Amino acid sequence: MNTRSDIVYLDYAATTPVDPRVVDVMTPLFGVDGDFGNPSSGHLSGRRSMQHVERAGGQLSELLGCTAAELVWTSGATESDNLAIVGAARYRADRGRHLVTMPTEHKAVSDVFQVLAKQGFEVTWLRPDEDGVLDPAELAAAIRPDTQLVSIMHVNNETGVIQDIEALGSVCRERDVLFHVDAAQSVGKLPIDLSALPVDLLSATAHKFYGPKGVGALYIANRPGCHVEPLIHGGGQQGGRRPGTLAVPLIAGFGEAARIARAEMQDDYAHLESLRTRLWSGIGDLEGILRNGAESRSFPGILNVSIEDVEGESLLLALEPLCVATGSACNSKSQAPSPVLRALGRSDLQAQSAIRFSCGRPTTSAEVDFAVARYREAVGRLRGMAPSRVA
Amino acid sequence: MTTEPYSERVRLLFARPDHAGDLEKSDARAQIEEQGVRVALAAECDGDDITRLRFLAWGCPHLLAAAEAFCREFEGGPVRALHTFSAAEIMQTLPVPREKLGRILVLEDAVRSLGQRLSAGSKTGKDTD
Repeated sequence: MNTRSDIVYLDYAATTPVDPRVVDVMTPLFGVDGDFGNPSSGHLSGRRSMQHVERAGGQLSELLGCTAAELVWTSGATESDNLAIVGAARYRADRGRHLVTMPTEHKAVSDVFQVLAKQGFEVTWLRPDEDGVLDPAELAAAIRPDTQLVSIMHVNNETGVIQDIEALGSVCRERDVLFHVDAAQSVGKLPIDLSALPVDLLSATAHKFYGPKGVGALYIANRPGCHVEPLIHGGGQQGGRRPGTLAVPLIAGFGEAARIARAEMQDDYAHLESLRTRLWSGIGDLEGILRNGAESRSFPGILNVSIEDVEGESLLLALEPLCVATGSACNSKSQAPSPVLRALGRSDLQAQSAIRFSCGRPTTSAEVDFAVARYREAVGRLRGMAPSRVA
Repeated sequence: MTTEPYSERVRLLFARPDHAGDLEKSDARAQIEEQGVRVALAAECDGDDITRLRFLAWGCPHLLAAAEAFCREFEGGPVRALHTFSAAEIMQTLPVPREKLGRILVLEDAVRSLGQRLSAGSKTGKDTD
């Protein structure tokens, strides 16, 4: 799909291009000849717009195994995370003010907990094991009578490690604690059946799986005690949970991306698995290379590696025109080593050398081969320029 | 404000570090290991003139570019000119973001050390290698 010859894009965990089929669904909804009306309006144009929203709600709810009434449209996963965490914490604050999460969460989650900690909530940060996985027994031990919310991401955006949300959610459900899952990296890529999973709140975004940027959703389970206080007010749309005029073209695109993902998920997964195997077999023999995150418990679209005696920022530049990440794109301007990799026990320097390769539906074997060659060449060149260590 | 983290000059110096490597023995080095910064310098002199400058460096692209820029500027010049090297100046000319001052100061330390060593060598009439 990528016909630009000046880059090789292997950063699909940061964002994806919009699938042409999604573009086809969205395009007619912008102009005067399309269904551009405000979906809250009662006239014909508004009602037609609302039909696109309802269709998208049906498509996303089929992907997630929930009802459309349990979905709230947002601007993306960051807003969904904020609404879930802040909204639920405030809603249940009179029952208790203890919250649980992990330092390996995306900043859209961890920063929210930092803010709540300054507002009188107490936060317990659970560390994963060296593979990046959280043991449900650790979670059970951390939950107290005043615990109200646990937030654990499904697929880690840096390492691809998959948490056992079924087991973790069961721990929460048995103790009447709300369980929020940031599923920005897994929706549309891994099977998720919310009708069977003990998950109360789940954040999703369209642009991670070939939908448009600027639209996301929050699943709020229809069960007693599972509510969020709205963060913004005015207008009353979406039952007041997230007011504001709905972005119909984006929502319709999100729905179409969900439909395509549901139809092609198995093929996508097999494709990514084959590409990751090819990539790792091409670089795994390099001296001092470390794979970050459990191989057996990680999403195949992501391969995160550190390498000894190579400086990360120089490695990233030497890899150009290969587009990869040194960590979460949202965090890449920071010079601080990734807290995710530090939590896995990596040293500052190991964390700093980390490169995240993330493949996608359009990625070809030739692009992976290019990445292998470029990585080997860059590592060799930078090591050749490095003075030996002196204690 | 720009989204481009590296100037064209930094990119060129990083891509073509003609003075990198080929050090049998360094004459000066400086490092801050916990920040991921190491610099080693070596020089060959003919009398008071530096005929050959080489570096090895481990650090960010700005550091590597600054080390290459230093070698290009001071190779062929007199040893006494080394004391004019300034981290502040090279940070302006490349340019280097202010938050990386500490890394460029490591290069400045290595250059100062090289200058002292070469000056001491020329006073005693010894070649440095």
